[in-house]
Amino acid sequence: MKPVPFEYERPHSLKAACQLLADDEDAVIIAGGQTLIPMLAMRLARPSRLVDISRIDGLSGIEEQTDNITVGCMTRHAEVERSPVIASHVPLLSAAMPWVGHAPIRVRGTIGGSIANADPSAEVPLVLVTLDGTITLSNATGSRTIPARSFFSGPMMTEIQPGECLTAADFPVWQHSRTGIGFREIAKRHGDFAMVAASAQVSVDATGKCIACAIGIGGVTDTPLALPELASSLVGTAFTDQSVHDAAKAATDNLSAMSDPQTSPEYRKRAATKLIADALMAARNDALETSEGVTT
Amino acid sequence: MTEAPTSFRYVSKPRRTQEDRRFVTGKGHFVADIVPDNTLHVALVPSQEPAARIISIDKSAALALPGVHDVITGDELAAAVEPMMNGLDTPAVKRYAMAVDRIRYCGEWVAAVVADTRAIAEDAAELVELETEPSDFILDAEEAYRPDSLAVHEAHGSNILLDRTFTWGPVEQHFSESARELSFRVTWGRSSTVPIETFGVLASWDGWRDTLDVWASIQMPKYADQIARALRIPMNTVRVHQDVDVGGSYGVKRGIKHTVLAGYISRKLNRPIRLIEDRLENMRAGDAHGPDRIFDISIAYEDDGRIRSMKMRALDNAGAYAGRAPFQLGKPIGAIVGPYTIESVEYQAISVTTNKAAQEAVRGFGQAPTNYAIETALDRVAAAVGLDRVQIRRRNYIPSDQFPYLIPSGTSYDSGDYQTVTDKVMTQVGWDDLVRQRDALRADGQLAGIGIAACLEPSGGNSSFEPLLNPANTTTTWMDSCRIMVDGAGTVTATIHTTSSGQGHQTLTATIIGEVLEIDPDQIRVIHADSQTSLPSNSPVGSRMAVMLGGAAFNAAGKLKDKLKRIAAKQFGASPDEVVYSEGTFATADGDQSLGWMDVVTIAHRYFHLLPDGEQPGLEVTDVYQVPTGGGLPTEDGRVQMYPCHSFEFHCVLLSFDPILAKPEIHRYVIGHDCGTVINPHIVKGMTLGGIAHGIGAALFEEFTYDDQGQMNAQTLADYLLPSSHEIPAVEIVHHCTPSPFTVLGQKGSGESGYLGAPAAISGAVNDALAPLGITVDKLPIRTAALSDRIAAAANTQS
Ligand SMILES: Cc1cc2nc3c(=O)[nH]c(=O)nc-3n(C[C@H](O)[C@H](O)[C@H](O)COP(=O)(O)OP(=O)(O)OC[C@H]3O[C@@H](n4cnc5c(N)ncnc54)[C@H](O)[C@@H]3O)c2cc1C
Repeated sequence: MKPVPFEYERPHSLKAACQLLADDEDAVIIAGGQTLIPMLAMRLARPSRLVDISRIDGLSGIEEQTDNITVGCMTRHAEVERSPVIASHVPLLSAAMPWVGHAPIRVRGTIGGSIANADPSAEVPLVLVTLDGTITLSNATGSRTIPARSFFSGPMMTEIQPGECLTAADFPVWQHSRTGIGFREIAKRHGDFAMVAASAQVSVDATGKCIACAIGIGGVTDTPLALPELASSLVGTAFTDQSVHDAAKAATDNLSAMSDPQTSPEYRKRAATKLIADALMAARNDALETSEGVTT
Repeated sequence: MTEAPTSFRYVSKPRRTQEDRRFVTGKGHFVADIVPDNTLHVALVPSQEPAARIISIDKSAALALPGVHDVITGDELAAAVEPMMNGLDTPAVKRYAMAVDRIRYCGEWVAAVVADTRAIAEDAAELVELETEPSDFILDAEEAYRPDSLAVHEAHGSNILLDRTFTWGPVEQHFSESARELSFRVTWGRSSTVPIETFGVLASWDGWRDTLDVWASIQMPKYADQIARALRIPMNTVRVHQDVDVGGSYGVKRGIKHTVLAGYISRKLNRPIRLIEDRLENMRAGDAHGPDRIFDISIAYEDDGRIRSMKMRALDNAGAYAGRAPFQLGKPIGAIVGPYTIESVEYQAISVTTNKAAQEAVRGFGQAPTNYAIETALDRVAAAVGLDRVQIRRRNYIPSDQFPYLIPSGTSYDSGDYQTVTDKVMTQVGWDDLVRQRDALRADGQLAGIGIAACLEPSGGNSSFEPLLNPANTTTTWMDSCRIMVDGAGTVTATIHTTSSGQGHQTLTATIIGEVLEIDPDQIRVIHADSQTSLPSNSPVGSRMAVMLGGAAFNAAGKLKDKLKRIAAKQFGASPDEVVYSEGTFATADGDQSLGWMDVVTIAHRYFHLLPDGEQPGLEVTDVYQVPTGGGLPTEDGRVQMYPCHSFEFHCVLLSFDPILAKPEIHRYVIGHDCGTVINPHIVKGMTLGGIAHGIGAALFEEFTYDDQGQMNAQTLADYLLPSSHEIPAVEIVHHCTPSPFTVLGQKGSGESGYLGAPAAISGAVNDALAPLGITVDKLPIRTAALSDRIAAAANTQS
């Protein structure tokens, strides 16, 4: 478990980092290293050079915008997990963070790394896709912003082009006063990647009727998956256990679910149905209890 | 001979374990900490196929890499060393450290690269070009057992390493007399102990001193013997440094093949050689997987639930080589009826080779799987006769007034009080409340169940399964030793003669010597001799050290005290049995004369003129202690006294899971535990908690699985699921003490406690939870998705 030989660079500007990546197609970014280092150790990743982006100013931090929260790529999971700004504006992300590995991993792991790594079971991408957030990518000459829902192209595959660095993710903030969240996950052991995760955010009006809804699942298909049709089918309805369950079942029926040696596709679909329903009901109940709303 | 004290000063007291200080402060001294100058590092080239013929191995590119010193292949090694030992008489099942001509499992070592650093060695390992011709392979034990199956070792002629049927008592008669009969199959998946520290060895040959120094993460009887034999060097040239801390073992740290390889390379290159497995090497080719076993059980019983007789067929998948794996079918013969009065047993023990990695000894040496099979039988009988699962056990327990109790297979159980331990657990757990709690969970839509397991932990290990299963082996000696010296300054040093892998031997030895000599154990120094200065030991296997090292330490301390008394008596003009010893002072019975500890020590060391006639100067005693039940060869019909002592444990667990998500959550875990006299309560508690965690792993998480291409798909700790602290519940331990009449202080073993019953208890609980659905799960580990799939399938067939 020793990596193949590689070179190491720690540039001090984003431009220099992107140039290093552009100049050498076998160079890769190292952020928190929590995924990359084990991959190197097992020689599954064999880069020519590591470009360490941890000393570049401006890549880390949580910023409030009008309609969303921008999280810099080098922001550590632990910082997001404990952030009061995230807790009040993107509580779904706060709820998801404790499910990301174990505490020591979250001290080093980064938001950008989580998204760029594109594990189909990862929580941060799931929340971003659920809320229909965006991702900013930069290269040596400029940057572009794309919807998270079109960023993930397969397991561990993304739209990042050679020479690009993922610099930030934007999580939309809902303005409805009665908004609640639900996050549910089943993993083999605590801290393992999810076999199935479901994240939901629901807003209700004073009568308890759903006025906005977002729902997504992770670990089931080969990318994190938002279920916008399911979500919109519930808007305007009063949730009942049965109706939510039926809608969840309909949404998962035709999915082609992944399998692994310990987990059948059928299990993933069954569990997804249940966790979608549970997450939605939890979000709705949470919304009913919220009098202040998620914005302040 | 010193009498066992009736009340204890240090024994059984919750004194701090001596070893903990260095471990909790990170000051353990492990094999990886030992790196002499000029050390070279080894990386292994693994086979990619489960079965193949080796056509050629091209080392040139690897050798050309700067920093590479050598590339060793199986051919070269096999020409220079003896094959490793087999436990059974199966000489055609040859095993070397690396594949010779044929590859027999995925990951098997085909070449070893020696380089300046481990990283260079790994770079070069990728450059070794291996040309092979893949051949058919076999993974399934039933298939391997068929007479026409492809033999993994062609020269052996079949895959069968062992196939013996024992009949102890009138089995057929009991079956025909009994009112009822039931049969079932259960399967124990291939799991193991997976220590945090992988196996490692540093071997260094010094030709000028004729010494092969070996530092290793080892727990292995007769390790030095086997290295010397394989390397064809005199045993007195091998020096195993037994003071290396071992970072976890419970059976698996045997490392003969690693050591033979490292020793060979060191002798060839005249350099210290370090071979530390990385996790991949450890998981796929450390040859350290545990039992992989199918049980077919038939039970003859009466309407009231009394079990008369049992037929057990145990088919074990040993993997590619024999080693000691088949013996793991032999040890459970010593407790084949568990804690029950089953009158007769038929036992067919089968061990077959397949193209999986080779097995090694794992905690309990086959007893945990056997207990799982027996306890499943008890649950099935309970269900069949409509009796409570606690009741069924109580009805079949051996009564406490019938010890020593001779079981059909020839072992005498030393002592036990199973009813009382069960009573204590029932009280602790509040049985009626527990049932109510389960039913409330059920009413809430959960599947909830209570699991019960009662079982024995045979301890004080001897090797009686060796002559039993291999008539060519007539070993009946299975000793352990202790040496005590008192130096001229009066301080006491005890020497033990094996490595320690976390069992607390230092604390054990000091506590017992302190008890006998009435000296604070913290003032007694305990050191590990190296193998050249060692007295005989059979190492910490078979839950034996409390009994065996404890016995040797007790006897040695007694001999020392006797000598000191003789010396004192001479000064008093009294006879030695008139001398009263108390806390370092020797006195006459009337108290008129007395001598202090240093007075007597000084006479021994400096005043020959004051010594009794014939007394040797100095203060040094040794005791080489045989297993307290002696040692006899098996009878012709296969009866033998297996281990001398039998600890008892009774588990009670409540768990529940959602019918769809199916991830069991343990709400309550109570264990009643009786290992006779406890030497150190912290150690027994640690063993029991660790054993339960290990058992939960075997029951719910851990398995070395292979895909249908023969590739192992659990090569890292991301896929081989060890339970973490999140998965392990709070465990309540209820103690009871039924002293063993056979041991010096009434102690029994506890090194396997918890593990031997936890898998059975967890399985019982899951099956109790499934009972309302009318289904069972019959294979360990019971994994989340598979459990859910099973439930869903049942729902589909019902609707
Ligand atoms: C035991 C364990 C359990 C874990 N469990 C979970 C879990 O349950 N859920 C979960 O989501 N994660 C889990 N993780 C993964 C952890 O969260 C990862 O650290 C994270 O996904 C990757 O972040 P990182 O900063 O460590 O990235 P790195 O390991 O540094 O990089 C990962 C990959 O992303 C690329 N990359 C990193 N940053 C950028 C960037 N800014 N732009 C472009 N590419 C970039 C790298 O080149 C590399 O290919 C677990 C990890 C471990 C070790």
